[in-house]
Amino acid sequence: MSLMGSSVAELFSAIDKLRAELLNNVEVLTDCQRVEGEISHGEILSLIENVILGIVTSLSKDEAPFLALPDRSNWANISFDSAIGLRMTLGSSVTTIRSDCPSSVTKFAQILKIFVVIYKLVQSNSYATKRFFVVNSHFEKITKLATSKGLISGDLCYMEEDGTRIDCRSCSAAAAVSSNIAGIRNIVSHAKFIMIVEKDATFQRLLDDDFCTKLSPCIMITGKGVPDVNSRLMVRKLWDTLHIPILALVDADPHGIEIMCIYKYGSVSMSFEAHSLTVPSVMWLGLLPSDLQRLRVPEDVLIPLTKRDESKLSSLLKRPYLASQPEWQKEMELMQQSKVKAEIQSLAAIAPDFLTNIYLPNKLRYGGWV
Amino acid sequence: MLREIQQVLRFVQLLGKRRQQSGLNVKGGLLVLVWTETGPSVQSLNCAVAAAGPWCIGINMKALQPDLKECMFPCACPCLPPDPEELCAFTDLYGSLRLLLTFQMKDASPEWCARIETFLHTYSLANAKIKIHFKFKFSQQTFQRDFSVKIKNKAGGNQRSLILDVTCRTQPPECVKKGCWCQGGHPVLGDRLPLSIPPAAMDQGLFGELSIQAVTLLSPCVLQYPNLPTQLTHIQVLVYGPSNVPVTGPSTFFQNLPAHLDCQEVGLHGLHCSSFKDLVHSGGTVYTVEQENCEDPEQESSPAPIRQSLLLYIFLQHSDPFTYQLSDMMATEVLIERHLEDILNNNKQAVTKAVQTELKNTLKAQNQRKKNQQKMRSAAEVILGSSLSIVSSSSNMDFRNACLHSMKMSDTYDLSASLRESLRRVTSWKFTPKNICYSAQVEEYPESDEPTRTEI
Repeated sequence: MSLMGSSVAELFSAIDKLRAELLNNVEVLTDCQRVEGEISHGEILSLIENVILGIVTSLSKDEAPFLALPDRSNWANISFDSAIGLRMTLGSSVTTIRSDCPSSVTKFAQILKIFVVIYKLVQSNSYATKRFFVVNSHFEKITKLATSKGLISGDLCYMEEDGTRIDCRSCSAAAAVSSNIAGIRNIVSHAKFIMIVEKDATFQRLLDDDFCTKLSPCIMITGKGVPDVNSRLMVRKLWDTLHIPILALVDADPHGIEIMCIYKYGSVSMSFEAHSLTVPSVMWLGLLPSDLQRLRVPEDVLIPLTKRDESKLSSLLKRPYLASQPEWQKEMELMQQSKVKAEIQSLAAIAPDFLTNIYLPNKLRYGGWV
Repeated sequence: MLREIQQVLRFVQLLGKRRQQSGLNVKGGLLVLVWTETGPSVQSLNCAVAAAGPWCIGINMKALQPDLKECMFPCACPCLPPDPEELCAFTDLYGSLRLLLTFQMKDASPEWCARIETFLHTYSLANAKIKIHFKFKFSQQTFQRDFSVKIKNKAGGNQRSLILDVTCRTQPPECVKKGCWCQGGHPVLGDRLPLSIPPAAMDQGLFGELSIQAVTLLSPCVLQYPNLPTQLTHIQVLVYGPSNVPVTGPSTFFQNLPAHLDCQEVGLHGLHCSSFKDLVHSGGTVYTVEQENCEDPEQESSPAPIRQSLLLYIFLQHSDPFTYQLSDMMATEVLIERHLEDILNNNKQAVTKAVQTELKNTLKAQNQRKKNQQKMRSAAEVILGSSLSIVSSSSNMDFRNACLHSMKMSDTYDLSASLRESLRRVTSWKFTPKNICYSAQVEEYPESDEPTRTEI
C-alpha cells in the first residue's frame, strides 16, 4: 500500500539508497566484538568481592574505606568517536565517596547495600525489575532490568527471553518497549526504515492516522521525550539486526535536537556504555528549521526562543560531534538566526492531516533528511 | 584590696589606651606583692603593685599627682616599701619600673591569696600580653604564681583590640597522635549590644553611650576532629569594664540568668549556677550544664564525647566625649561597676537575648555533630552488615580467608566485632588539619603556670 498512487519502489527509493550508503560506511559490530563487552557472573561476584576486600583491608590498616567511581557528569571525561558517539575515556577522573564523611557516608552505605542485592541476584541467577542505577562500568552488564517507558509499533515481531511473542503490527495500539532488550530474539521485520518520534503525543497522532500502514513497511518508536536506556537499547538492537535507516522526527527546538543527539551519539552519564546505546547513523528527518521557512508555517504557531533555548542551542553547537554534521550545524544556525522554534503539531496549522499525508511521505520520498 | 589592684590596672590600661592609638606595643610585666609584717599577730596586709615594660611607657612616677593617688586608693593606708630584691628580679625582666604603688589593708586574711590570684588570672585571660607575677607571703608561708600566656589570639573589631589567652589546658585524649591536637582556642566575636543607662546611675553622673561586646571561647578545640561528638559541661561568664579590667564580685543578674534562658531553643537540657561560695573564688559566674541521660546502647558504644567548656566574655564599652581626664575616666569605670547590676537589670531582656544568641551559636556546631554522629552510626550498620553478608555468603575461600587474615580473625563472628570497632575508630577520630589550629607536638604536656609552692 502506498500514498498518492505511487509504487512502493518509488516511495522508498531514497530510503533504499540511504540504506545502501549506510551499510557501506558504518562499522558493524561483529558477534565476537559484542561478546567481548560481556562479563560472566563469576567475574561480577569477583568484582564485588574485591571491593569488599578493599574495605576490609583499609579497616585493617586503620584507614577509612572509600569508593572511587568514574565521574559520569564531567564532559572532560568524554571523547567523541564518530563510529560510536560519546564515550568515556580511559583514566578519567573519579569521584571519591568516603565512609568517614557525613556528607557521603550514606551514599557509601547505599552502594554497599546495592552490592549485596546484586551479589545475591547473581548468585541465584535471578532477575529483578527495579530502578536502574549504575555503580561503575562493569555492573550494568548483570541482569538488572529497568522499567521501560518507550512504545513501539510497526512491521516488527520478536520473542522475549521468557518466550512471550511480541507483535507490533497492531494498527491501533503500540507495544511497550521490552524491559529485557538483551533477551530479545527471533526479530522478524520487513521494515524499510525506523522512525524515532520524540513525543508520545506525536506518536499517538501517527498511530491514529495509521502511519505505519500508509508508509508500510516501517517501524516507529518513541521514548516519550528523553529516552530511557531500554528505548535506546531497542533502537540499537534494531539497527544491529536490521541495518535499515533510522530517521528522527523531533520538534524544531533545542530540546528536540538534544533528544535526537542522545539517540545518535549518547549521553555523558551513559558514555561508558556508548557502544551498546548509540546509533551514529541516525538521520534528522524533521521538523527542520528550514522546513518552517520552506513550508511557510504560519507565524502564529512559531514560538520565540527563550534565553534557556538560546543557551542550550549554543551549547549544542559546541558539542564535539557537531563538527562532523555540517548540515545539522546549518539548521541549528538557522534556528539561532530566526530565533523561533516550532513543535511538530504546528504543521497542523497548514492542514489537519499535513503531517501524515503530505509532510512525512514527501520527506521520505525525496530524501528530505539531513 | 582587690579594688586597689583594680584601680592600678585601670590607671595603666587607660593610659595605655591613649597610646594604643599611636600604635605602641601593649606588652609588659605586672608585679603584685602581698605580704604581712613580721610580728606576733598579723593584722594588716601590705601590697605593692609594680609595672614595667612597653605597656606603661609614659607613666611618670614623680609626676603622679597626689590627688590621683588619693583617687586610686581612697581607703588605703601607706605602707613600707617592698623587698628591693623582689623588685630587682622584676626589673631584670622588664626594665626599669614605670609604676610602683604601695598600700596597706587592715583586713589581713589568707583568703585574700585565692581571691587575688583569681582576679589576676581573670585579668590575664583578657590581657594576654601582660605577664603577671604574683607573690603572697602570709606568716611563714609563701605562695607564688606567674601568669604567662602561651597562646594568644586577637579578637575584637576596630573599636577595641582584645588580646585573649586562648591556651587550652585540657589534656588531649591518649589516642591522639603527635601534632594532632589544637592547644588553643578560637574566640568568636558576638554582636555589640547597646545598653540604656538607668536613671539612678545617671543621677550619680554616668552618661554617654554604654554597650556590651560578647566574645565566646570554646575549649578544647576539636575542629580538627569533625566526627567527634562534643558535650558542653560548663559555661563561665566573665565581665570586664571598659578598660579590660575584670569586674569584681559575683553578679546576681548572671546568677539568676539560667532561669530566663530558653534552654530548649539553645539546645541544652538545663543550666544551673554554681554555689555562691564557689563563685567567690572561681572568677565570674559559672554554670553547670545538665546532661541528658543516655539510654541508647548504640550511643553508649560510641566514643565518649569530648567535654568542652565555654568562656563567655562580656566586655563593657563606654564612650563619653565629655569624659577625657584620666581621673574622670577612672571614676566612670567605678560608677559602671557600682551600678552594674542595675544596668544589667535595666536591659534584662536584651542582655538575656544576647547571651541566648551566643549560646545558641556556640551549640550549633555541637548539635550538628550529634546529627552527623547519628547519620554515621546508621550508615556504619549498613556498611558492616553488607560487607559481612557478602563475606558470609561467598563460596570463594580465597576471598573469605583474605578478609579474615587481613583483620587477624578466625571466624566471621570475630570479624564482625573487629570490623565494627575499626570502623568506629577510623570514622570517629578522622583528623582534618586546620590552618587556624595550634597543633604543636603533643609530647609531654606543656609547662603550666600553676603555683610553684604549696598553697596556703
